[in-house]
Amino acid sequence: MPFDTLLGAWIATGLTLFILSFLYEDNPLFKVAEHLYVGVSVGYTIVKAYDTVIIHLIYEPIVKQGDWSLLIPLSIGMLMLTRYVPKAAWLSRYAFAFIVGVGSGLAIPRTISSYILKQVEDTVRPLASMVPGDGLTFSFNLLNPASNLNTIIILLGVTSVLFYFFFSVEHTGAGKAVARTGILFLMISFGAAFGYTVMARMSLLIGRLTDLIEFSDPSYGRATLWLAAVTVAALVIWARQRREQPPEG
Amino acid sequence: MTFAERMLKIDRRIIFAVIGLCTLLPLLYPVGLPIKVSPEVRGVYDYIESLPPGSVFLLSMDFDPASKPELYPQSIAILRHAFRKNLRVIVMTLWVTGTGLADQVISQIAQETGKVNGRDYVFLGWSPGAGSVIINMGQDLYTTFPVDYYGKPTKELPVLEGVQNLRDVNYAVSLAAGNPGVEAWYVFGKDKYKFELGGGCTGVIAPGLYPLLRSGQINGLIGGLRGAAEYESLIGQKGRAVAGMDAQSATHFAIIVLVILCNIFYVSLRRKQKG
Repeated sequence: MPFDTLLGAWIATGLTLFILSFLYEDNPLFKVAEHLYVGVSVGYTIVKAYDTVIIHLIYEPIVKQGDWSLLIPLSIGMLMLTRYVPKAAWLSRYAFAFIVGVGSGLAIPRTISSYILKQVEDTVRPLASMVPGDGLTFSFNLLNPASNLNTIIILLGVTSVLFYFFFSVEHTGAGKAVARTGILFLMISFGAAFGYTVMARMSLLIGRLTDLIEFSDPSYGRATLWLAAVTVAALVIWARQRREQPPEG
Repeated sequence: MTFAERMLKIDRRIIFAVIGLCTLLPLLYPVGLPIKVSPEVRGVYDYIESLPPGSVFLLSMDFDPASKPELYPQSIAILRHAFRKNLRVIVMTLWVTGTGLADQVISQIAQETGKVNGRDYVFLGWSPGAGSVIINMGQDLYTTFPVDYYGKPTKELPVLEGVQNLRDVNYAVSLAAGNPGVEAWYVFGKDKYKFELGGGCTGVIAPGLYPLLRSGQINGLIGGLRGAAEYESLIGQKGRAVAGMDAQSATHFAIIVLVILCNIFYVSLRRKQKG
């Protein structure tokens, strides 16, 4: 087993156990792992961004390949840093205006096309299908996403939920029934989202435990078992010291 | 204190221990519960299966190590399938923190399947900009990625022969843990450059992507570890995802029982308080 693999396994196991120790109680081991996580991810991002953006996308094209046109976007980007100098902060508005303008111009038409127009098109899809040979048909299969019955249910759901969020009209009489239908669809969708979220969190736990089981193998020096013992011992010592310390004030 | 009150005030560490055991025991002693393949996962599989050898397949691994347990098995299964079909694989990522992970998985699977970097696959790495990167790739792949992750000029790579931009990609799959991800690939990619798009995602964002699936904006969706397990079953190479399904079923069963019990205790307590 290469040393770097072994070292990585022991570090991963230790940090996993430190994070999981929070389930017992907030403790210094958890804080160490938490701060390391934040620090390492920020550090990694900074290094990668520096290497990819500063070196490969700015320095090398300008200095080594002579692409001086990149000085224009570079200076616009540098203008943003004037935010940190109060007297010159007004210069950053030009950079932000450019970025917001370009971003909006790229995003808004595409987003309207993809999220609104295409979704409306699918929602009001014809309730009856024209099938060559069979003529006009209406399919009832709830399990088939393309079923016409599903189309009706989705149309009902979309219109009732949109009506629920339309507060310019009081939700009374028939409007109340439509709004209550919308609430029902919302509850079902939130339940589905919650169920998927639970599944996702359990999957993350399964992933960590799978690694812990793998690293308990003798080829990894039984990292899980040793570090679990160290973690439990550290927690016991810390809990005892906390009990022995007189309360403050 | 009644039994219902004691149960509702139970130390939550006992519940943590129950969930932990329900996860750990099936991993140590697997049962092998059957896995039914869903139509949305089959959509991705069938499309890759239908591609002739030499087709250009783009895999965007838009996730970081925090989502590794769900999306890493998906990426392994899809890459194995793509290499088995002898597709020309382009791998990239829109997440800077996912670069190392993407490099690890493509190197591992390429070595396993005997594929050669530059000839059978290319790893482009990361470029800043998310949606802008996709739009740039749609115009010209080589100005967006003049070199690959290892510094080799992309114009000289045999695997990218005939590929000028995203219109030359036969199928793209985005494995996403959030934004940028599947939605960005659709909005800035497929909607504009008209290539076929599939998705893989964590369980958290899966419900938000079903409208895209239903409308045909994406042709398939691999959701979470469960989706990865289904894909592993389809390609006939069971891995970590299938191994985790017993544990997933056990924990879900435990949570359902706990939810039902809590509701029973809560209703009984309310009745007692009213009476």
